[in-house]
Amino acid sequence: MTDDRSFEDLQRELEDIVTRLERGDVAVDDAIALFRRGEELFKTCVERLQGAELRIEELTAEEPLS
Amino acid sequence: MAKVAPILYGDRKVYTVSSFNRGIGSYLGRLPAVWVEGEVTELRRNEAWATVFLTLKDPKTGASLRVTIGRRVFDRLELALEEGETVHVAGRAELYEQKGELGLRASTIERIGLGAHLLALERLKRQLAAEGLFSPARKRPLPRLPRAIGILTGADAAARGDLVATIGARFPAAKVVVCETRVQGKGAPARIASALGALAAHPEVDVLVLARGGGSFEDLLPFSDEVVVRAVSACSVPVVSAVGHEQDTPLCDLAADMRAATPTAAGSLVVPNLSELRAALDGSRRRLVLAVRALLERDTARLMRLGERLQAAPRLLLERRRSALDHTGARLHALSPLATLGRGYAIVRAGAEALRDAAAVTPGDRLEIELASGSVGATVEDVRP
Repeated sequence: MTDDRSFEDLQRELEDIVTRLERGDVAVDDAIALFRRGEELFKTCVERLQGAELRIEELTAEEPLS
Repeated sequence: MAKVAPILYGDRKVYTVSSFNRGIGSYLGRLPAVWVEGEVTELRRNEAWATVFLTLKDPKTGASLRVTIGRRVFDRLELALEEGETVHVAGRAELYEQKGELGLRASTIERIGLGAHLLALERLKRQLAAEGLFSPARKRPLPRLPRAIGILTGADAAARGDLVATIGARFPAAKVVVCETRVQGKGAPARIASALGALAAHPEVDVLVLARGGGSFEDLLPFSDEVVVRAVSACSVPVVSAVGHEQDTPLCDLAADMRAATPTAAGSLVVPNLSELRAALDGSRRRLVLAVRALLERDTARLMRLGERLQAAPRLLLERRRSALDHTGARLHALSPLATLGRGYAIVRAGAEALRDAAAVTPGDRLEIELASGSVGATVEDVRP
Protein backbone atom coordinates (compact mmCIF):
# COMPACT_ATOMS: atom_id res chain seq x y z
CA MET A 1 0.00 0.00 0.00
CA THR A 2 1.33 3.41 -0.83
CA ASP A 3 0.21 6.22 1.35
CA ASP A 4 1.15 9.70 0.26
CA ARG A 5 0.20 11.24 3.54
CA SER A 6 2.97 12.82 5.56
CA PHE A 7 5.05 10.71 7.87
CA GLU A 8 3.57 12.67 10.70
CA ASP A 9 0.01 11.70 9.74
CA LEU A 10 0.99 8.04 9.50
CA GLN A 11 2.73 8.14 12.84
CA ARG A 12 -0.23 9.89 14.41
CA GLU A 13 -2.58 7.21 13.10
CA LEU A 14 -0.31 4.54 14.53
CA GLU A 15 -0.33 6.25 17.90
CA ASP A 16 -4.11 6.63 17.80
CA ILE A 17 -4.46 2.92 17.14
CA VAL A 18 -2.16 2.08 20.03
CA THR A 19 -4.11 4.38 22.32
CA ARG A 20 -7.43 2.85 21.29
CA LEU A 21 -6.15 -0.66 21.87
CA GLU A 22 -4.67 0.34 25.19
CA ARG A 23 -7.97 1.83 26.29
CA GLY A 24 -9.41 -1.58 25.58
CA ASP A 25 -12.98 -0.75 24.57
CA VAL A 26 -12.59 -2.55 21.25
CA ALA A 27 -14.26 -5.73 20.04
CA VAL A 28 -11.90 -8.60 19.29
CA ASP A 29 -12.50 -8.53 15.54
CA ASP A 30 -11.86 -4.79 15.48
CA ALA A 31 -8.79 -5.24 17.64
CA ILE A 32 -7.28 -7.68 15.18
CA ALA A 33 -8.02 -5.36 12.26
CA LEU A 34 -6.55 -2.41 14.15
CA PHE A 35 -3.47 -4.41 15.02
CA ARG A 36 -2.94 -5.33 11.36
CA ARG A 37 -3.35 -1.70 10.35
CA GLY A 38 -0.90 -0.67 13.08
CA GLU A 39 1.70 -3.15 11.87
CA GLU A 40 1.28 -1.87 8.34
CA LEU A 41 1.70 1.73 9.46
CA PHE A 42 4.78 0.84 11.44
CA LYS A 43 6.30 -0.82 8.39
CA THR A 44 5.48 2.12 6.13
CA CYS A 45 7.00 4.55 8.63
CA VAL A 46 10.18 2.53 8.96
CA GLU A 47 10.49 2.26 5.19
CA ARG A 48 10.18 6.00 4.91
CA LEU A 49 12.95 6.46 7.44
CA GLN A 50 15.18 4.16 5.50
CA GLY A 51 14.80 6.14 2.32
CA ALA A 52 17.72 6.82 0.08
CA GLU A 53 20.28 9.62 0.14
CA LEU A 54 19.44 13.22 0.80
CA ARG A 55 17.74 14.49 -2.33
CA ILE A 56 18.25 18.05 -3.44
CA GLU A 57 15.99 19.75 -5.91
CA GLU A 58 16.70 23.21 -7.29
CA LEU A 59 13.80 25.51 -7.78
CA THR A 60 13.84 28.74 -9.74
CA ALA A 61 11.38 31.33 -8.65
CA GLU A 62 9.80 33.42 -11.34
CA GLU A 63 11.24 36.87 -11.51
CA PRO A 64 8.76 39.22 -9.89
CA LEU A 65 7.39 41.93 -12.09
CA SER A 66 8.99 45.19 -11.15
CA MET B 1 32.42 91.06 25.75
CA ALA B 2 33.36 94.04 23.71
CA LYS B 3 30.46 96.11 22.59
CA VAL B 4 29.48 96.38 18.98
CA ALA B 5 29.77 100.08 18.64
CA PRO B 6 30.53 102.05 15.49
CA ILE B 7 33.23 104.65 15.23
CA LEU B 8 31.86 107.89 14.02
CA TYR B 9 33.57 109.67 11.11
CA GLY B 10 31.40 112.76 10.97
CA ASP B 11 27.95 111.31 10.30
CA ARG B 12 29.34 108.01 9.00
CA LYS B 13 29.06 104.96 11.28
CA VAL B 14 32.00 102.66 10.76
CA TYR B 15 32.46 99.23 12.35
CA THR B 16 35.72 97.46 12.92
CA VAL B 17 35.94 93.99 11.34
CA SER B 18 35.86 92.44 14.77
CA SER B 19 32.78 94.24 15.90
CA PHE B 20 31.04 93.57 12.58
CA ASN B 21 31.77 89.88 12.89
CA ARG B 22 30.77 89.88 16.50
CA GLY B 23 27.52 91.65 15.66
CA ILE B 24 26.65 89.23 12.90
CA GLY B 25 27.74 86.37 15.13
CA SER B 26 25.41 87.34 17.93
CA TYR B 27 22.65 87.85 15.40
CA LEU B 28 23.22 84.35 13.97
CA GLY B 29 23.34 82.96 17.47
CA ARG B 30 19.73 83.89 17.97
CA LEU B 31 18.60 81.70 15.06
CA PRO B 32 16.92 78.45 16.05
CA ALA B 33 18.77 75.14 16.06
CA VAL B 34 18.38 73.19 12.79
CA TRP B 35 19.23 69.84 11.21
CA VAL B 36 21.47 69.98 8.16
CA GLU B 37 22.10 67.09 5.81
CA GLY B 38 25.29 66.70 3.83
CA GLU B 39 28.27 64.56 2.97
CA VAL B 40 31.22 64.48 5.31
CA THR B 41 34.49 65.81 3.89
CA GLU B 42 37.69 67.10 5.46
CA LEU B 43 37.11 65.49 8.80
CA ARG B 44 39.84 66.60 11.20
CA ARG B 45 40.07 65.27 14.69
CA ASN B 46 43.08 65.71 16.88
CA GLU B 47 43.57 64.58 20.45
CA ALA B 48 45.16 67.95 21.21
CA TRP B 49 42.15 69.93 20.02
CA ALA B 50 38.99 70.57 21.94
CA THR B 51 37.04 70.78 18.70
CA VAL B 52 36.57 68.45 15.77
CA PHE B 53 36.30 70.08 12.36
CA LEU B 54 34.59 68.80 9.29
CA THR B 55 33.00 70.15 6.18
CA LEU B 56 29.54 69.20 5.02
CA LYS B 57 29.02 69.16 1.32
CA ASP B 58 25.82 69.24 -0.63
CA PRO B 59 26.32 66.39 -3.12
CA LYS B 60 24.08 68.04 -5.71
CA THR B 61 25.48 71.57 -5.84
CA GLY B 62 28.85 71.20 -4.17
CA ALA B 63 27.93 73.89 -1.66
CA SER B 64 29.83 73.46 1.56
CA LEU B 65 29.46 74.31 5.22
CA ARG B 66 32.04 74.33 7.97
CA VAL B 67 30.97 72.29 10.99
CA THR B 68 32.54 72.21 14.42
CA ILE B 69 31.67 69.91 17.28
CA GLY B 70 33.18 69.44 20.70
CA ARG B 71 35.68 66.58 20.61
CA ARG B 72 34.20 64.88 23.65
CA VAL B 73 30.69 65.13 22.24
CA PHE B 74 31.96 63.75 18.96
CA ASP B 75 33.80 60.85 20.61
CA ARG B 76 30.79 59.87 22.67
CA LEU B 77 28.79 59.41 19.46
CA GLU B 78 31.19 56.63 18.42
CA LEU B 79 30.31 57.15 14.79
CA ALA B 80 33.57 56.10 13.18
CA LEU B 81 32.62 58.42 10.36
CA GLU B 82 34.19 57.99 6.97
CA GLU B 83 34.58 60.73 4.42
CA GLY B 84 31.75 60.69 1.91
CA GLU B 85 29.14 59.43 4.32
CA THR B 86 25.87 61.27 4.47
CA VAL B 87 24.96 62.59 7.89
CA HIS B 88 22.40 64.70 9.66
CA VAL B 89 23.93 67.40 11.84
CA ALA B 90 21.95 69.21 14.50
CA GLY B 91 23.27 72.62 15.50
CA ARG B 92 23.16 76.38 15.42
CA ALA B 93 24.67 78.79 12.96
CA GLU B 94 27.83 80.39 14.21
CA LEU B 95 30.35 82.77 12.88
CA TYR B 96 34.04 82.17 13.23
CA GLU B 97 34.78 85.69 14.17
CA GLN B 98 38.45 85.67 13.43
CA LYS B 99 37.83 84.84 9.79
CA GLY B 100 34.24 85.90 9.37
CA GLU B 101 33.38 82.40 8.25
CA LEU B 102 29.90 81.02 8.63
CA GLY B 103 29.70 77.65 10.26
CA LEU B 104 27.47 75.22 12.12
CA ARG B 105 28.15 74.46 15.77
CA ALA B 106 26.95 70.90 16.05
CA SER B 107 25.33 69.38 19.12
CA THR B 108 25.03 65.95 17.53
CA ILE B 109 25.64 64.04 14.31
CA GLU B 110 23.69 61.05 13.00
CA ARG B 111 24.50 58.78 10.17
CA ILE B 112 21.54 59.38 7.95
CA GLY B 113 21.20 55.99 6.33
CA LEU B 114 20.99 54.15 9.60
CA GLY B 115 18.91 56.70 11.44
CA ALA B 116 16.26 56.89 8.77
CA HIS B 117 16.17 53.13 8.28
CA LEU B 118 15.99 52.45 11.97
CA LEU B 119 13.14 54.86 12.36
CA ALA B 120 11.21 53.40 9.46
CA LEU B 121 11.93 49.93 10.79
CA GLU B 122 10.67 50.80 14.25
CA ARG B 123 7.52 52.28 12.77
CA LEU B 124 6.90 49.22 10.59
CA LYS B 125 7.56 46.92 13.52
CA ARG B 126 5.00 48.72 15.67
CA GLN B 127 2.45 48.69 12.87
CA LEU B 128 2.86 44.99 12.10
CA ALA B 129 2.87 44.13 15.78
CA ALA B 130 -0.40 46.04 16.16
CA GLU B 131 -1.82 43.96 13.32
CA GLY B 132 -0.87 40.88 15.29
CA LEU B 133 1.65 39.55 12.79
CA PHE B 134 4.16 38.74 15.53
CA SER B 135 1.63 37.28 17.93
CA PRO B 136 2.70 34.01 19.57
CA ALA B 137 -0.79 32.69 18.86
CA ARG B 138 0.02 32.77 15.14
CA LYS B 139 3.07 30.55 15.49
CA ARG B 140 2.52 27.15 13.95
CA PRO B 141 4.32 24.04 15.14
CA LEU B 142 6.89 22.66 12.72
CA PRO B 143 6.09 19.28 11.16
CA ARG B 144 7.92 16.44 12.85
CA LEU B 145 9.04 15.06 9.56
CA PRO B 146 8.48 17.21 6.52
CA ARG B 147 8.20 15.45 3.17
CA ALA B 148 10.48 18.14 1.78
CA ILE B 149 12.21 21.15 3.30
CA GLY B 150 12.16 24.35 1.30
CA ILE B 151 15.32 26.41 1.55
CA LEU B 152 15.45 30.00 0.46
CA THR B 153 18.94 31.37 0.24
CA GLY B 154 21.02 33.96 -1.51
CA ALA B 155 24.15 32.99 -3.38
CA ASP B 156 25.39 32.26 0.12
CA ALA B 157 27.30 29.02 -0.13
CA ALA B 158 28.14 28.85 3.56
CA ALA B 159 24.60 29.21 4.89
CA ARG B 160 23.24 26.78 2.34
CA GLY B 161 26.06 24.29 2.94
CA ASP B 162 25.64 24.35 6.73
CA LEU B 163 21.92 23.87 6.47
CA VAL B 164 22.02 21.02 3.96
CA ALA B 165 24.83 19.29 5.83
CA THR B 166 22.94 19.41 9.14
CA ILE B 167 19.77 18.08 7.57
CA GLY B 168 21.64 15.27 5.81
CA ALA B 169 23.47 14.27 8.98
CA ARG B 170 20.37 14.14 11.15
CA PHE B 171 18.04 12.65 8.65
CA PRO B 172 19.57 11.13 5.52
CA ALA B 173 16.22 10.33 3.92
CA ALA B 174 15.22 13.99 3.82
CA LYS B 175 14.49 15.91 0.68
CA VAL B 176 15.34 19.58 0.29
CA VAL B 177 14.11 21.99 -2.32
CA VAL B 178 16.48 24.91 -2.70
CA CYS B 179 15.55 28.22 -4.22
CA GLU B 180 18.35 30.70 -4.68
CA THR B 181 17.52 34.30 -5.19
CA ARG B 182 19.06 37.73 -4.75
CA VAL B 183 18.61 38.66 -1.13
CA GLN B 184 20.45 41.96 -1.19
CA GLY B 185 19.95 45.29 -2.80
CA LYS B 186 17.06 46.79 -4.66
CA GLY B 187 14.34 44.41 -5.72
CA ALA B 188 15.47 41.80 -3.19
CA PRO B 189 12.28 41.98 -1.08
CA ALA B 190 10.05 41.24 -4.07
CA ARG B 191 12.37 38.40 -5.12
CA ILE B 192 12.42 36.91 -1.64
CA ALA B 193 8.62 37.10 -1.38
CA SER B 194 8.24 35.49 -4.80
CA ALA B 195 10.69 32.71 -3.94
CA LEU B 196 8.83 32.09 -0.66
CA GLY B 197 5.63 31.68 -2.62
CA ALA B 198 7.23 29.33 -5.15
CA LEU B 199 8.69 27.12 -2.41
CA ALA B 200 5.48 27.01 -0.41
CA ALA B 201 3.60 26.03 -3.58
CA HIS B 202 5.87 23.03 -4.12
CA PRO B 203 3.67 19.99 -3.47
CA GLU B 204 6.06 18.31 -1.05
CA VAL B 205 7.42 21.26 0.87
CA ASP B 206 6.04 21.14 4.42
CA VAL B 207 8.37 23.65 6.03
CA LEU B 208 10.53 26.54 4.85
CA VAL B 209 13.87 27.87 5.99
CA LEU B 210 15.04 31.38 5.24
CA ALA B 211 18.81 31.06 5.35
CA ARG B 212 21.04 34.08 5.20
CA GLY B 213 24.39 34.37 6.90
CA GLY B 214 25.52 37.46 8.72
CA GLY B 215 25.84 40.78 6.98
CA SER B 216 25.79 44.48 7.62
CA PHE B 217 22.67 46.17 8.83
CA GLU B 218 21.94 47.37 5.31
CA ASP B 219 22.57 43.91 3.84
CA LEU B 220 19.91 42.42 6.07
CA LEU B 221 17.37 45.17 5.47
CA PRO B 222 15.40 43.24 2.81
CA PHE B 223 14.51 40.72 5.52
CA SER B 224 12.83 43.52 7.42
CA ASP B 225 10.97 44.77 4.39
CA GLU B 226 7.22 44.85 4.77
CA VAL B 227 6.72 42.74 1.63
CA VAL B 228 8.96 39.98 3.00
CA VAL B 229 7.57 40.12 6.53
CA ARG B 230 4.02 39.86 5.23
CA ALA B 231 4.99 37.03 2.88
CA VAL B 232 6.54 35.10 5.79
CA SER B 233 3.51 35.68 7.95
CA ALA B 234 1.09 34.63 5.21
CA CYS B 235 3.15 31.65 4.05
CA SER B 236 1.07 28.50 3.74
CA VAL B 237 3.69 26.34 5.48
CA PRO B 238 5.59 27.09 8.70
CA VAL B 239 8.71 29.22 8.25
CA VAL B 240 11.97 29.05 10.17
CA SER B 241 13.98 32.25 9.98
CA ALA B 242 17.75 31.85 10.11
CA VAL B 243 18.81 35.30 9.06
CA GLY B 244 21.94 37.08 10.22
CA HIS B 245 23.57 36.48 13.55
CA GLU B 246 22.21 36.16 17.03
CA GLN B 247 22.24 39.91 17.69
CA ASP B 248 20.37 40.81 14.50
CA THR B 249 16.64 40.73 14.68
CA PRO B 250 15.25 41.36 11.24
CA LEU B 251 11.48 41.66 11.29
CA CYS B 252 11.08 38.40 9.36
CA ASP B 253 12.44 36.71 12.50
CA LEU B 254 9.48 38.02 14.45
CA ALA B 255 6.95 36.96 11.84
CA ALA B 256 8.45 33.51 11.32
CA ASP B 257 6.99 30.53 13.16
CA MET B 258 10.37 29.81 14.65
CA ARG B 259 13.69 31.55 14.77
CA ALA B 260 17.07 29.88 14.50
CA ALA B 261 20.28 31.59 15.49
CA THR B 262 22.25 29.92 12.70
CA PRO B 263 21.56 27.83 9.60
CA THR B 264 22.89 24.82 11.52
CA ALA B 265 20.38 25.40 14.29
CA ALA B 266 17.65 25.73 11.66
CA GLY B 267 18.70 22.38 10.23
CA SER B 268 18.16 20.62 13.54
CA LEU B 269 14.78 22.30 13.92
CA VAL B 270 13.32 21.13 10.63
CA VAL B 271 14.22 17.45 10.73
CA PRO B 272 14.07 15.14 13.68
CA ASN B 273 16.95 13.04 14.77
CA LEU B 274 16.65 9.74 12.92
CA SER B 275 17.52 7.55 15.90
CA GLU B 276 15.06 9.36 18.17
CA LEU B 277 12.34 8.93 15.60
CA ARG B 278 13.14 5.25 15.15
CA ALA B 279 13.04 4.77 18.92
CA ALA B 280 9.63 6.44 19.08
CA LEU B 281 8.32 4.17 16.32
CA ASP B 282 9.66 1.05 18.00
CA GLY B 283 8.01 2.20 21.21
CA SER B 284 4.68 2.57 19.41
CA ARG B 285 4.98 -0.89 17.97
CA ARG B 286 5.84 -2.45 21.32
CA ARG B 287 2.78 -0.84 22.83
CA LEU B 288 0.70 -2.00 19.88
CA VAL B 289 1.67 -5.62 20.41
CA LEU B 290 1.26 -5.44 24.19
CA ALA B 291 -2.11 -3.75 23.89
CA VAL B 292 -3.53 -6.24 21.45
CA ARG B 293 -2.18 -9.14 23.51
CA ALA B 294 -3.72 -7.76 26.70
CA LEU B 295 -6.97 -7.30 24.84
CA LEU B 296 -6.97 -10.87 23.56
CA GLU B 297 -6.08 -12.26 26.95
CA ARG B 298 -8.85 -10.31 28.54
CA ASP B 299 -11.32 -11.55 25.98
CA THR B 300 -10.12 -15.14 26.35
CA ALA B 301 -10.60 -14.96 30.09
CA ARG B 302 -14.06 -13.53 29.60
CA LEU B 303 -14.87 -16.32 27.18
CA MET B 304 -13.68 -18.96 29.57
CA ARG B 305 -15.80 -17.59 32.37
CA LEU B 306 -18.78 -17.67 30.02
CA GLY B 307 -18.03 -21.29 29.16
CA GLU B 308 -17.96 -22.25 32.80
CA ARG B 309 -21.25 -20.60 33.42
CA LEU B 310 -22.71 -22.32 30.39
CA GLN B 311 -21.65 -25.72 31.67
CA ALA B 312 -23.01 -25.05 35.09
CA ALA B 313 -26.35 -23.89 33.76
CA PRO B 314 -28.16 -27.29 33.08
CA ARG B 315 -27.32 -28.65 36.50
CA LEU B 316 -28.64 -25.54 38.12
CA LEU B 317 -31.77 -25.72 36.04
CA LEU B 318 -32.35 -29.35 37.00
CA GLU B 319 -31.92 -28.64 40.67
CA ARG B 320 -34.31 -25.79 40.49
CA ARG B 321 -36.89 -27.93 38.65
CA ARG B 322 -36.49 -30.78 41.10
CA SER B 323 -37.15 -28.63 44.09
CA ALA B 324 -40.22 -27.17 42.40
CA LEU B 325 -41.44 -30.69 41.66
CA ASP B 326 -40.93 -31.78 45.23
CA HIS B 327 -42.99 -28.91 46.39
CA THR B 328 -45.84 -29.70 44.00
CA GLY B 329 -45.61 -33.35 44.98
CA ALA B 330 -46.06 -32.47 48.63
CA ARG B 331 -49.07 -30.36 47.84
CA LEU B 332 -50.52 -33.14 45.72
CA HIS B 333 -49.90 -35.61 48.42
CA ALA B 334 -51.76 -33.53 50.96
CA LEU B 335 -54.81 -33.44 48.71
CA SER B 336 -54.86 -37.14 47.85
CA PRO B 337 -57.80 -39.16 49.37
CA LEU B 338 -55.33 -41.96 49.83
CA ALA B 339 -53.85 -39.99 52.71
CA THR B 340 -57.29 -39.92 54.36
CA LEU B 341 -57.67 -43.64 53.85
CA GLY B 342 -54.34 -43.97 55.63
CA ARG B 343 -55.98 -42.61 58.74
CA GLY B 344 -58.60 -45.47 58.67
CA TYR B 345 -61.30 -44.01 56.52
CA ALA B 346 -62.71 -46.09 53.59
CA ILE B 347 -64.47 -45.30 50.35
CA VAL B 348 -67.62 -47.32 49.69
CA ARG B 349 -68.76 -47.62 46.10
CA ALA B 350 -71.98 -49.03 44.74
CA GLY B 351 -71.10 -49.49 41.12
CA ALA B 352 -68.97 -46.64 39.88
CA GLU B 353 -70.36 -44.01 42.28
CA ALA B 354 -69.07 -43.42 45.78
CA LEU B 355 -71.89 -44.19 48.19
CA ARG B 356 -72.99 -41.12 50.20
CA ASP B 357 -76.62 -42.07 51.22
CA ALA B 358 -77.85 -45.36 52.77
CA ALA B 359 -81.14 -44.95 50.89
CA ALA B 360 -79.34 -45.38 47.60
CA VAL B 361 -78.96 -49.12 48.17
CA THR B 362 -81.17 -52.02 49.05
CA PRO B 363 -80.28 -55.22 50.80
CA GLY B 364 -78.53 -57.62 48.53
CA ASP B 365 -76.70 -54.84 46.60
CA ARG B 366 -73.02 -55.40 45.95
CA LEU B 367 -70.60 -52.90 47.49
CA GLU B 368 -66.96 -52.24 46.89
CA ILE B 369 -64.99 -50.90 49.92
CA GLU B 370 -61.66 -49.28 49.15
CA LEU B 371 -59.15 -49.13 51.98
CA ALA B 372 -55.76 -47.45 52.27
CA SER B 373 -54.36 -50.71 51.11
CA GLY B 374 -56.46 -53.01 48.98
CA SER B 375 -60.26 -53.28 48.77
CA VAL B 376 -63.02 -55.51 50.05
CA GLY B 377 -66.17 -56.78 48.27
CA ALA B 378 -69.38 -56.82 50.45
CA THR B 379 -73.15 -57.32 50.25
CA VAL B 380 -75.79 -55.03 51.89
CA GLU B 381 -77.56 -56.87 54.73
CA ASP B 382 -80.00 -54.24 55.85
CA VAL B 383 -80.53 -50.54 55.23
CA ARG B 384 -81.10 -47.89 57.97
CA PRO B 385 -81.65 -44.63 56.21
